[in-house]
Amino acid sequence: MSLYITTLLVYVGVDVMACWGLNLQFGITGINNFAFIVFQAAGAYTAAVLSLGPQSGNGGFQQYLFGASLPFPIPILMGGVIAGVLSLLIGLITLHRLRSDYQAMVMLVIAVIGTIVVENLGSFLNGSAGLALIPQPFVNNFSSPVDYQWAFVAFTAVACLVVYFFLHRITSSPLGRALRAVRDHEFAAAALGKDVARLRMFSFVVGGVLAGLSGGILVSFITAWSPGSWLYVETLVLLTAVIVGGTGNNFGVMLGALLVPVVFNEVTRYLPQFGRPGLIDALQWIMIGSLALLFLWFRPQGIVPERRRRFRAPDAAPEAKLPPGTPAAAEPQ
Amino acid sequence: MHTLLLSIGFGLVTASILAIAAVGFTLQFGVSNMLNLAYGDVMTASAFAGYLVNKAGAPLAVCVLAAAAAGAVISVLLHRYIYRPFVRRGTRLFGLVVVALSVAVIIQNALLAGFGATFFSYQLSPDHAVNFADMSFTVRQLIIMGIAVAVMLAINTLLRRSRLGKAMRATSGNATLARACGINTSRVIDTAWLIAGALCGLAGVLLVLNTSSFQSTTGNDFLVLTIAAAMLGGVGQAYGAMIGAVALGVITEVAAAYTRSSFKEVIAFVVLVAIVLIRPQGLFGPPGSTTTVTEKEAVA
Repeated sequence: MSLYITTLLVYVGVDVMACWGLNLQFGITGINNFAFIVFQAAGAYTAAVLSLGPQSGNGGFQQYLFGASLPFPIPILMGGVIAGVLSLLIGLITLHRLRSDYQAMVMLVIAVIGTIVVENLGSFLNGSAGLALIPQPFVNNFSSPVDYQWAFVAFTAVACLVVYFFLHRITSSPLGRALRAVRDHEFAAAALGKDVARLRMFSFVVGGVLAGLSGGILVSFITAWSPGSWLYVETLVLLTAVIVGGTGNNFGVMLGALLVPVVFNEVTRYLPQFGRPGLIDALQWIMIGSLALLFLWFRPQGIVPERRRRFRAPDAAPEAKLPPGTPAAAEPQ
Repeated sequence: MHTLLLSIGFGLVTASILAIAAVGFTLQFGVSNMLNLAYGDVMTASAFAGYLVNKAGAPLAVCVLAAAAAGAVISVLLHRYIYRPFVRRGTRLFGLVVVALSVAVIIQNALLAGFGATFFSYQLSPDHAVNFADMSFTVRQLIIMGIAVAVMLAINTLLRRSRLGKAMRATSGNATLARACGINTSRVIDTAWLIAGALCGLAGVLLVLNTSSFQSTTGNDFLVLTIAAAMLGGVGQAYGAMIGAVALGVITEVAAAYTRSSFKEVIAFVVLVAIVLIRPQGLFGPPGSTTTVTEKEAVA
């Protein structure tokens, strides 16, 4: 029971962190990153490989490259770094050159391709079998497994707090306003001298790093990772969480992350098995998709809407007359 | 040499199916500017419709027609009752793509829930092989290629000769201007969804006839190739999509013959990245049409 609760809490933390990253990209900067889960996977694989040791370990039953056994925080941090580098590469290909729906198309393709590549390159990350027996960090400092699990929950919580304050600094700063301006009116932002491409890239990479960190933390706790854990549709779960919670609002997104992935996964766990195998899973996906559609139709701003920022122009300050956070509704068609 | 010719032969069959799928995708996207990510899943749904007709004992031609009809109906329903209402409500471009992805996931899993996670195949009469040089085709594959050529000619006539086709090209180029010229763009867009849906359904059933077994994710896997072919030709460019499909179909099959067959999508992806880096508007798109400079809103 204790294991169940701690696992649930770690999942909550990881989902919240990932949703914040996605919110920075999707909610605040307006980038459709349908490949978000790929960056989480990149972080998870990096953390796994860097803590598993050389591939001859454990009797050599898994094949992977770059095996190392680095001490605790490094694999997870490297997970963030690698995911960030991957974001930078993919961002260089897609963000500069394509308009937003083409970006979405290419991102979706990347997400589908990602699993195919890893599944078929068996010696790279152990193919479709995935990696297992990943050593848990700082496990030797605890005598009882229960203490260890709670310590890991505490670690996840601290990581989430750090991420929250970091994100809060970004979103409540002039930088955050500039990012929103890019989302709401790209051309107006560019006309005001904002470097739209750089701002997009910034939020894409930071979001990617957060995805990687969340993946690293998750894999360190659950000790296994395989292509089945990051199918492209998983991004839709996080995206739905962001939309339900409140696109652009970090607090709302946290609420969404608590409600959507966690509730959906946990509730179905308690349902009696009915129908053919896989039916419940399929119905769960239909529910997730419908939830996204319903919210986009009835309450596109989510449960906790983004705070509307109003700026009163100070007297004789002409540059303040065009508030960067102008909502989308004011946009000419 | 033998492998090369053999794989080029396979490539031509794949290219035929891909051409139908890519032309439908690009036609619909070009005219309505709505990125329909559910396209691949509509393909699967149509293939399942054909499967049901096949199971009822109807001849193969009826199955193919039924699948095309199913694709057309599903597409028009999606457009009328899901996409268009969202567009009219003022949902912005990046919201619409999430709508499309949700629809894709819903259709795919509805098929999974309805039919189960196994592989399906049509009941077909035995087929004969026909050899040209080192290439080997079955009669059915030759028919598939024949259908593709006929469809491409029909699309060409539609776009070049008919009033409807001209109205479609006008709407695709500039919807506001087309409306100002008295074109009923709403009806043109409806028709574009209908035709694209029929092509989608046709591609779905032909794909399944060629690979002989399919499951609920088959169409979505094919969407990667479809998107790559459409972008190679320049999205919205019907002729570009045809050429993109032929090029991509042959390239992927030949490359797959020398590496492994599951890398088809990966090769398509490499081609896609190369296009984005070198010529983002595709081979035949007007310059700047895919960059942020000319962001168009979706039209209802």
